[in-house]
Amino acid sequence: MPPFSRGFHGRPRRPDVDPSRVPPGQYVVEDFPVLSAGPTPRADLATWSFSIQGAVDACVSWTREELNALPQETLTVDIHCVTKWTKLDTTWTGVSLDTLLEGVSTEAEYVSVWADGGYTTNLPLEDLSDGKAWIVHSFDGEPLERAHGGPARLLVPHLYFWKSAKWVRGLTLTVEDEPGFWEAAGYNNYGDPWREQRYWGD
Amino acid sequence: MRLTDAQVLDGNAAAGLLAEIFGGAEMTGAVRGCGSCGQEHAVGKHRLYRGAGLVLRCPGCGDVALVVVERGAQREVRMSGRWVLSVPV
Amino acid sequence: MAEIAPARAVRAPLIWRTATVVELVDETAHARTLVLDVPAWPGHVAGQHVDVRLTAEDGYVAERSYSIASAPEEARVALTVERIDDGEVSPYLAGDLVVGDQFEVRGPVGGHFTWRTTDGGPLLLVAGGAGLVPLMAMVRHRAAVGSHVDTRLLVSAREITAVLYREELERLGSARDGLSITYTLTRAVPERWDGFARRVDGPMLEAVGPAASSHPRAFVCGPTPFVEAVADALVELGHAASDVHTERFGPTGG
Repeated sequence: MPPFSRGFHGRPRRPDVDPSRVPPGQYVVEDFPVLSAGPTPRADLATWSFSIQGAVDACVSWTREELNALPQETLTVDIHCVTKWTKLDTTWTGVSLDTLLEGVSTEAEYVSVWADGGYTTNLPLEDLSDGKAWIVHSFDGEPLERAHGGPARLLVPHLYFWKSAKWVRGLTLTVEDEPGFWEAAGYNNYGDPWREQRYWGD
Repeated sequence: MRLTDAQVLDGNAAAGLLAEIFGGAEMTGAVRGCGSCGQEHAVGKHRLYRGAGLVLRCPGCGDVALVVVERGAQREVRMSGRWVLSVPV
Repeated sequence: MAEIAPARAVRAPLIWRTATVVELVDETAHARTLVLDVPAWPGHVAGQHVDVRLTAEDGYVAERSYSIASAPEEARVALTVERIDDGEVSPYLAGDLVVGDQFEVRGPVGGHFTWRTTDGGPLLLVAGGAGLVPLMAMVRHRAAVGSHVDTRLLVSAREITAVLYREELERLGSARDGLSITYTLTRAVPERWDGFARRVDGPMLEAVGPAASSHPRAFVCGPTPFVEAVADALVELGHAASDVHTERFGPTGG
């Protein structure tokens, strides 16, 4: 047991938290840490698009204008990072994956998410459906900052936050499950914070 | 005044962790030949990122050179490219 | 007092040791030096750093790295920490910490950004803000050994009150032993200022010298954009890239 440092508390913590909102092993923080596997990409907004492709009958894609023309949702959720911080009541605005997947015909059961800068992650298609995932462009009513994934990121709050890919550009639907960046580096293939599925094999 | 979340730092900031992993070796001078762009760079010059784990990238092309993931009592290290290490006996 | 181990002690076992704060020195309004007692400290080389680990009572752990400010010849290890307002660790180390408190250190680490007087010169040291810390260890080492190696120190800071070790630098710079110190302030200059008043650039580096043709060793330390701009400028002046050693700090300390 390492010696503890008197008076050191770490990140500002939120007092009076309902423990049932905090997955095992997590700390609740007030700030919003910025973590990244690589440099922050700078999107060319004029040519930016989000697309769904792969094992689909027809590829679809949206420009920012087209995405903004779709039904928007504002939602408040708790987010959980595998590095142990949890942030409660985060508010996002964007388009539900249900809206985007509407009309996408596929036999595929898995999704590879890809982003500017080369980051990838993977999850079952069913984890993107039925009100579980969004492509979000705003945080707390303001356009999403670049460091936090702007212009748009995937939001899948029921899984560890590495699945909510920053700088998202598209989904590739796949028949086989393909581990993404952190999954291939030793993290869990699924990542359920409530079952503390942090690492591969948990 | 050094390591922070996701700030672009270099391999020097990971010297302690790498020395611990590689048995006390002074790693910042180790040279890695990139499998992607072919350039050779000292570990100390690689770009360091902190995500769910520590990532070192080739300063020439951004190729991932090393990833360290801490999982409790174990530490998993994945390396790519041609590394030349000098490790004390 | 423990005997200082020889300078080449980078191969000592790299373990976490418990450091005890024995003295605190306020350097500026935002920075403080922590003088530490570290049992079985193997000694260090100027330019190296330590990893610092803080464990809260509930088990929460935070790690940061800090450059060693003290010369290898000094009896105690000293770190200088700049307090960043929203930081997690620096407000504690440069604020709440008192003499007698403890935390863990691992080190010394870093072989690429080091200098011993036996490495020779001439030497060009370029510091951006808190990047002065490891370069100060080099300057202090040089003074402790009584070296007269041609050394040019260029310190960039926002304003004069933000310059670390100001009085000590004035004293060392007036010793006429081959050390020259130049300042550049980027935000506010005092009245009757005779230093530079802009960001470090090629013409300034050329004026400070030494010339690229004398193949000086250059050590550049500070925030990442600063280090990259200065390193690029030095290479453009003709310095070999292999002679330019860099250490990037995060833009905010945390």
